[in-house]
Amino acid sequence: MTQTQYFSSGIELAKSVVNLDILQHAWTAVTDLCKETSQNEEPTSLVKFKVYELPNCTIIAFFTGPANSKDYVQGNGGGDFVTSSTLKDHLFNFLCTKANPNFSINKLAFQLFSSIFGVLPFLKSKIDNSNSKPLIITGNSLGGSVATLYTLSLLEKFNFTTTKRPLCITFGSPLIGDERLQEAISNYPAWNSCFLHVVSDQDPVPRVLINNGYKPFGTFLSCSELGCSCFEDPQTILELLMAAYSGSPENQDPNKVFESYGTFVEHLNRKALYKDTTDHESLIDWTTPPLRAGIITQLAAIGLVQSQQSQKIDINSVIAKIERQEKTMAILKEQAFDPTKRLNEIKVHMAYLEQYKKLSKDKRIGYYDRYKIGSNKSDIDLEKHKKTLTCYWEYMVDQAEKRPQTEGASLRTRSLFGGTNYRRMIEPLDIADYYKAGKQDYINKGRRKHYIKLEQMLKETVRPSSGPNQMKKQNVAASLTEDSCFWAHVEEALISCKLLSSGGSSVEQKDSAKKELIEFEKYVFDLMKNYAVSSEIFLPQSSFMKWWGEYRQITGASYSSSLTNLLKNDNNYVAYANGSLEFPLNFV
Amino acid sequence: MASLNLGENIEIDTELIKKAYSLAVKAHSKSSEKAYNVEESRRSSDPVIFSFSGCWSENGWYDGEPFGVTEINLPLLFPSLRSIGVNENALVNKAFLQRFVDKILGNSDFDREVQKAVKKNKQILFIGHSSGGSIANLATIWFLEKYIKPEYNYKISPSSPLCVTFGCPLTGNHIFSHALRRENWSRYFIHFVMRYDIVPRILLAPISSIKLEFQKVLQFLNAKSVNLAHASIDNFDASNFYMKVMKNASSVASHAACNLMGNTNLLLETVSNFIPLSPYKPFGTYVFCTGNGKLVILRNPDAVLQLLFFSSQLCREEECTDIAQRSLQQHFGYDNELQDCFQMLNEVHLEPLEQLPLSSDTTSSDIATINSALNDLGLSTRARLCLCAAGELEKRKIGNKESIDLKKPDIEKAMKYLEEDYQLNCRHRDLGCYDAFKLQETSKDFDANVKRLELAGIWDEIIEMLKRYELPDAFEGLRDWVLLGTRYRRLVEPLDIANYYRHLKNEDTGAYMIRGRPKRYRFTQRWREHAERMPAESSGESCFWAKVEELRIKISSQGFEPIKEEVLLLEAHVQNWINLGELSGDVLLEKSTFKKWWEDLPREHKLTSCIKDLKVRKAVTEKKQILFTGHSIGGSIANLATIWFLEKYLRSDSPDNYKISPSSPLCVTFGCPLTGNHIFSHALRRENWARYFIHFVMRYDIIPRILLAPVSSILLEFQRVLQFLNENP
Repeated sequence: MTQTQYFSSGIELAKSVVNLDILQHAWTAVTDLCKETSQNEEPTSLVKFKVYELPNCTIIAFFTGPANSKDYVQGNGGGDFVTSSTLKDHLFNFLCTKANPNFSINKLAFQLFSSIFGVLPFLKSKIDNSNSKPLIITGNSLGGSVATLYTLSLLEKFNFTTTKRPLCITFGSPLIGDERLQEAISNYPAWNSCFLHVVSDQDPVPRVLINNGYKPFGTFLSCSELGCSCFEDPQTILELLMAAYSGSPENQDPNKVFESYGTFVEHLNRKALYKDTTDHESLIDWTTPPLRAGIITQLAAIGLVQSQQSQKIDINSVIAKIERQEKTMAILKEQAFDPTKRLNEIKVHMAYLEQYKKLSKDKRIGYYDRYKIGSNKSDIDLEKHKKTLTCYWEYMVDQAEKRPQTEGASLRTRSLFGGTNYRRMIEPLDIADYYKAGKQDYINKGRRKHYIKLEQMLKETVRPSSGPNQMKKQNVAASLTEDSCFWAHVEEALISCKLLSSGGSSVEQKDSAKKELIEFEKYVFDLMKNYAVSSEIFLPQSSFMKWWGEYRQITGASYSSSLTNLLKNDNNYVAYANGSLEFPLNFV
Repeated sequence: MASLNLGENIEIDTELIKKAYSLAVKAHSKSSEKAYNVEESRRSSDPVIFSFSGCWSENGWYDGEPFGVTEINLPLLFPSLRSIGVNENALVNKAFLQRFVDKILGNSDFDREVQKAVKKNKQILFIGHSSGGSIANLATIWFLEKYIKPEYNYKISPSSPLCVTFGCPLTGNHIFSHALRRENWSRYFIHFVMRYDIVPRILLAPISSIKLEFQKVLQFLNAKSVNLAHASIDNFDASNFYMKVMKNASSVASHAACNLMGNTNLLLETVSNFIPLSPYKPFGTYVFCTGNGKLVILRNPDAVLQLLFFSSQLCREEECTDIAQRSLQQHFGYDNELQDCFQMLNEVHLEPLEQLPLSSDTTSSDIATINSALNDLGLSTRARLCLCAAGELEKRKIGNKESIDLKKPDIEKAMKYLEEDYQLNCRHRDLGCYDAFKLQETSKDFDANVKRLELAGIWDEIIEMLKRYELPDAFEGLRDWVLLGTRYRRLVEPLDIANYYRHLKNEDTGAYMIRGRPKRYRFTQRWREHAERMPAESSGESCFWAKVEELRIKISSQGFEPIKEEVLLLEAHVQNWINLGELSGDVLLEKSTFKKWWEDLPREHKLTSCIKDLKVRKAVTEKKQILFTGHSIGGSIANLATIWFLEKYLRSDSPDNYKISPSSPLCVTFGCPLTGNHIFSHALRRENWARYFIHFVMRYDIIPRILLAPVSSILLEFQRVLQFLNENP
């Protein structure tokens, strides 16, 4: 079989963007705002903004006065960082994860952004009223930095399922954050896709902070007189920002650079219809694989191939570097972890647990207690399955929570059922471990986050009302207890019993224990009435029966309540298991 | 006689193409009352040609914003024009479809004339120029849908029918193209496109972007269709029109190219929220005329789309006016161009796409022809990369198919376990698989569950690929996969349902059929329904148990009367499914959930129920030996009954895979007359069925010999003999 060929779609992506006129719209807004500012006011370094309503989109443009030159960005501590954790209102904390707890952003850019905090509610109202038209947020140079930070601030509350993603377009903006910010954003393709940075080969500003530890994120649209191309790999972007710079100390007039973007935008749009005439054919022959050929055309489009003669760039080594990088990326993407694909594998592990549950039942002991008691050989296998399952679901829940999935922020339905089943099956085992270790109050102190989340997610999905119909009753023997924390309640009840019967407890302790036990009775009664608890709890060796034994002694024969009356009659256990047990209306 | 080789064994006479073009153009000028013409020469070998006229009004192209498409929802006319598994109808140009349905099908002559040609066994050609070509496309599909059905005994040879178009606009979307390729029909379509002809590209632009100029262009084309020489269009309008259409073509092409190249940057999605892109996609074989006597042939729809854009790109800004004029003039220039091409007959097949030379100054000799053809179309490295990516994607799809084909043995193995070991094990427990699986009492049930999950993993992977169109278009029409899917569905879906109701997922989720049914079963059911041309949702036999469970729940909460209708419907289905062998007979076992539920129904209902005795089938289910027997001609009837039984239950591809042991069934006759001729005998021996028949014959018994005499020779006596036999039973 022949080898898979990879491609690099940077040119095509750039053409798609350029063709859609959004760059022109954005640039027109920026220049309009620039003119307005320079006509009306004294030059200040304050941030100006304006909202433009177009027929098919809403544009918010930012402009930061004339102070856009390279020196301003670079000098006077312009490259300083601030750490996300020190920011006012913990604005960007939502970007952080356990693995990546904080990041740094450019201090100057953040100061400019914080100067417009007062108008954010106004902008928000504008966005809300835009009738679901897509949103473009734009600015040039430091105005672009403000646009970037503003867009970032929108991401937290943004509903990716119902609203079209906003697009932030910057023109010649300096890099804005460190590697950890880059990581926080590029981990989430939907977020990363909201940023498009247009960089001219003549503009020094986007290049000045490279050596200060700043890293790019989003997509970069590099352009030259010859054409343009998109790049998304951060390493490649850094490489090319350095290599494809045709400016020289003499032509750094900020106004000229500013205007050059206008020319490019206009030029590129027209150029899309013409055949590319760049001179790169010498680098391609019939043995060139498509990936390399694609990279060469991209480099030619951004003017690198042409400039190699004058600037002594070793074009071949640049090509080779990028080719390696892109190939690695492509292979990584191919092998990307697809969790739903693994769902069926995971179900096989669940099947083993079901088997364990069944075998335990055959031995007249519920799987909860069998697991709690002991270590025989099959329990070791069980640990393995349990571990695999827990890892998988922790990951899934984590992803579902963080990832702005295009299909919805929550789990897909299929996954949710799997998750619910998992929770009902496995959480009792975690509870067993917890109480076996002598700890108390599992629900508040020991419960793992992903169980809580899974339960929440189930509650959020609409479900048909479930009175205990005949089917449910008949199946109770085979089903799992609905409340995955049931056994924690049982363990707590056992502890309460111990308190009551122990001589060392104070009166208050005994009173509260008594109250809790009544609560527990009601809890169990309600579960039973709904046939929501598995009949396995009545197996002779179960912890629940142990509790009943102790409780019966404590309360004595004269005590009577709805639950105890049921439990006193052994025949009721069988009746419950086959769905024929009748209940009094209310718990008394 | 010269002929043009289009690849895939399709050749077409060049004279015929020229004739088709002149007829297609002539169709425009015919009076408007008849939207098509028939041309039938007296020579019986010549094809019958239907030509369709174009339309020169804006709403004849764009009926509604922005691209003038509509969903095809005509299951009787065009049942195949959809994506089967994902259950999505194709989109088609609304105005063209309307025109075809109203003007062509609405004219009863058309149907009659087509039928006449079919009866004469003539090849039929549907042809059209400009938008007439789109009508020809639809007419051809209509024809294929109608006459390729099994009930019509019309065998289509590879060369017939054909649809030939010239400068035809795009007609349908990607599902349209996908469906034609799935049915293997796209080879019947041949589209000639001049390098700069703008018409095949027009629908890549939304009407809003070209509204102003389109009026003038249509006026010009209309004038030209009447009088070729005396029509002209302003340079300014022509240039604007050309630029605007090409700009949109560029958007569509680069967006498509990103996807071909495996782009995963969601920026593409973000930006396409701003402006909707044209949904159209080519299909069929495209023949591009380079303008210097060469014909470039390709059939990969993705590649054709790219080529539509790249081949008419400008080289320099100064060319614009000239090319813009040409883009309109060439629409009527096919006769001269084809004349030149057919003299040289210099055709180039762009295959394999993924190995195209990427640089225009490639000198290697073995690809020099292809390279010069690419140069003639003005293709840059960028354009070549896009074509190459289209080829690579197709190759990858084929690779995906190969990799799932490799999993077939795994599927077979797991299914074999369920079909044989597990079923047998359940039978020993007097249970059907459904009930055994639902009870989960033994380790065999556990093993079956693991097999079920393994199978689900493989099938889900296939379904995911289908949803993303990562398998070859033909996949959902492949007989072996449709059959395997049906077998899998009938065998394993009951287990899924058992699992669903065992875990009471209906409590959390709702009925299995509504919220719980996995796509792997929905897809495979639609495959079968499409392959056998059944109505949608009519092959639900594998969901039988879900229906039973839901009816059980309903009856337990509402009682019998309110849902009587549903019960009757289910019973009718059950009878039908069991008789057809689509539902396993073990549903009738005494301990089955169904049987128990059914026994609990009101007595008066049961007495009249259509399923109160399904006996033969039950005997099969219980693996009892069946004996057919008869004396005299009763023996002959027994013979026929036995053969019927063997045909039904012993066919190797029979879905329930009922294995008959060597001793069963048996047919025993006594003094039975002969029943069939030598082929009858031969066939029974070929099937190895003769061993099931045992005929006892007395040495002098005359009856087995009677049929050796013609009735004429024994007429007189035979009457009396029969009388005698009847009186002495």
